[in-house]
Amino acid sequence: MDILLGSIASGILLGMVLSLVALGLTIIFGLMDIVNFAHGEFLMIGMYTGLLTAQATGMDPLFTLPVAAAIGFLLGIVCYGGFVKYLLRGPMIAQLLGTFGLMLVLRNIALLFFGSEDRALHHGLLVGKSFDIGMGIIISATKLAVAVLAVLAFGGIWLLMNRTRLGKALTATALNRQGARYMGIPTERMNALAWGIGGATVTVAGALIVNFWSVNPYVGLVFTMIAFTVVALGGFGSVPGAFFAGLVVGFIMEIPGFWDFFAITFDIGWMADVPMTSFKYTWIYVAYFVIMLISPRGLFGWKH
Amino acid sequence: MEALKSALDFSDFPRIDRVTALAAAALLFAFPLFPHSAFAMATMIQFLMFSLYGMGWNTIGGYGGQVDLGKAQYVGIGAYTTMVCLLRWDIPFWVSMPLGACFSVAWSFLIGYPLFKLKGHYFAIATIATSLVLKDLFEVWKFVGAARGLGILPFKYQTPDFLRLIFKEDVYYYYVLLGFFIVGLLYMNCFRKSRLGFQLRSIKDNEEVARSLGINVHWAKIKTYAIATAFVSVVGSFHAVYIKNIEPEDTMSLDISILIALMAMLGGAGSLWGPIIGAGVLIPLKSYLKEWLGAAAGLVGIDLIIYGLIIMIISAFEPRGLWGIVEKIRRRRRV
Amino acid sequence: MALLEVRNLVKAFGGLKANDDVSLALEPGELVGLIGPNGAGKTTLFNCIAGSFPPTSGRILFAGEDVTSLGAPEMARRGLARTFQVYVAAGDLNVIENVMVGCFLHTRSQSRARARAEGILADLGLRHLQSSLVSELPVAAQKRVTMATALATEPKLLLLDEVAAGLNPSEIEDIMAGIRHIHAGLGITVMLIEHVMELVMNVSQRVIVLDYGKKIAEGPPHDVARDPQVIKAYLGERYVRERTTDPS
Repeated sequence: MDILLGSIASGILLGMVLSLVALGLTIIFGLMDIVNFAHGEFLMIGMYTGLLTAQATGMDPLFTLPVAAAIGFLLGIVCYGGFVKYLLRGPMIAQLLGTFGLMLVLRNIALLFFGSEDRALHHGLLVGKSFDIGMGIIISATKLAVAVLAVLAFGGIWLLMNRTRLGKALTATALNRQGARYMGIPTERMNALAWGIGGATVTVAGALIVNFWSVNPYVGLVFTMIAFTVVALGGFGSVPGAFFAGLVVGFIMEIPGFWDFFAITFDIGWMADVPMTSFKYTWIYVAYFVIMLISPRGLFGWKH
Repeated sequence: MEALKSALDFSDFPRIDRVTALAAAALLFAFPLFPHSAFAMATMIQFLMFSLYGMGWNTIGGYGGQVDLGKAQYVGIGAYTTMVCLLRWDIPFWVSMPLGACFSVAWSFLIGYPLFKLKGHYFAIATIATSLVLKDLFEVWKFVGAARGLGILPFKYQTPDFLRLIFKEDVYYYYVLLGFFIVGLLYMNCFRKSRLGFQLRSIKDNEEVARSLGINVHWAKIKTYAIATAFVSVVGSFHAVYIKNIEPEDTMSLDISILIALMAMLGGAGSLWGPIIGAGVLIPLKSYLKEWLGAAAGLVGIDLIIYGLIIMIISAFEPRGLWGIVEKIRRRRRV
Repeated sequence: MALLEVRNLVKAFGGLKANDDVSLALEPGELVGLIGPNGAGKTTLFNCIAGSFPPTSGRILFAGEDVTSLGAPEMARRGLARTFQVYVAAGDLNVIENVMVGCFLHTRSQSRARARAEGILADLGLRHLQSSLVSELPVAAQKRVTMATALATEPKLLLLDEVAAGLNPSEIEDIMAGIRHIHAGLGITVMLIEHVMELVMNVSQRVIVLDYGKKIAEGPPHDVARDPQVIKAYLGERYVRERTTDPS
């Protein structure tokens, strides 16, 4: 039983972080219809930022978030102004392959600088500690803290989008670019801003994730696919959608845990033989496919 | 019969194109006769392989305008079918290759039907998803060697073996592949002028108009996807007997899918020569970059950085690819 | 037997009825105009007939068969062709290639498709433009290319959607001649949506008028032009009173 509850708890916590990962992607997509293959690489950069800042300054990893946010913001704006801006003029295939090229470049620059070995955090306020919330469920303290911070960050972005003038300008541009222009909204700057905010969001998510997930230059792709699935489920362009979808996808990633639970509890031999852990990500891809076929708009999407 | 005539008819290209193509073909035939390094030969074989991959992709991705980033799964199906057939039952290449193509095409129809209900980015990501799922499956499937893959031990066979396509010397592979290349090119020439080719181009232009002209859009896309799949699968089978060692990570990864799409896109998606030009530029570049830079101590990954930058530059500034530049210049000259 | 019959067609988008209980019939060989103020539901009607989307209720019969729920490709196969008002081209196909796409509906052979396309282009005076990209042509030529493409599918009924929009008077003359040729010369039944009155009133044998989704008048052009309902729809009440007091 505790395995099941443990899996559920894990899924929820992970889900909240995944929501944050996907948030940046959905903001960018909502605004300018471009799918960023390099999204996962931004996350990877965030992870390294969190790790290295913590190691260099001795600060607890959880306090490195502002650094990550700043770097992410800058990276987003630079990528937009120096590259993505030009991509938007071309056909879709160019956009897809273009951000893929960006992914290759970022990934291999990281490889060049950091080498290919896994790196993980080994000390910090909460690393390695966990608490027992009763019924035998053990929650890792970092995961909990991370989840809380993710929700806070999410809430912050939501407030930004809905309660500030800036956020409303962004939403207006997403809904009707021409109209926004007539209203005097500088749409070019909105684009750059979206990339900045999107970039910052995902690097912060990375800095959070590195607390319990080790990093190497190749982690980007998997997270990109996860982010796509979350966004597809939640609806391309929808902020609340990203939140709920993140939770669902967090659960999906815990399927191996549930599988084991069933195998052990009901003593089903053949189930235990299936190497479910190898399929941790496969379910994500299957989920994407199934979601797109059943409901291309996702749960809350307004863009198709 | 008409199809054959059409395949051989390049008359809608200006004379200079036809002459250049013939000259290039002659060079390709003559290449092994000149002194060359083993590395150069290997690069040329890669060039031919990726031209073929690119040509296949070009049907659905170029003429059809549907960006497919999941072709690697068919490389895998083709390669593994041939490999397994050879290792377990000693089935010759000329049987296992069509068999692999059949499996690939069957799979393509199965996933094509739902896939083509999607469009644009959603479609592209879905193709990635399906390819990765298949790769993950192959990585745990013991029958195909799981993550370690399968390998042929060439000394077990009497080479040159034309039935099983096992040779010790690359030059045999080269000429067999060149044969495939010519056939593939002629097929593409026929395709772009065929009914399906025109239907696809109309679909790419404007789907609603295409429908009003009696075209069943969904079905046309699925058919074309199957053709692309067959191309890729055939070359995949070849890959198995040539490289003699296959594993999911290098035959079915996303990088391979992207590479395939890139050939046509760089050279000019939707044109006959595009994939060949693209492969002609990218493959030597990739090989030589890797040779000179990648292996150099401490500089791991620089070749890929340069590679990525090239992709970025082309995407941002010349999305119609190299052939697109040629056409632009020609059109300006005409006016 | 009527070639096209529309019975009590209703097409609603959410709460808005774009077509409200429209009925009409076209005999083979007719040339009928469909007019009405902007937003009257003309293109929606075309879309329903052509199979772009199904009507909310009502029936459509083509050559005696119920085609209400059939899609556009099926309708094309049965002999119904149409042009589109706004043609957004990706610019990849040139003129003759465009027309060949239509030809491929009834033949698999490239050579036959090409030959037929050349014939159609010659018929509409477009041969000299056959290798140009459609997007590079002036508007008048583009419109004729869309007509040629539709003709390539060997239709029994051709729906023309505002083919004269944006043309100057001499171009309108040319297109009128083209339409007359298609109708009288090729024997194709034609229904056209038009705002350019000289065109529609001069070529049509019969005119149908829509307003706010409903059919408000039908008859020979001359009569329809004087119909107070029609005048009211286009010009407003004032003009109705003035017109009916006009002695001529």
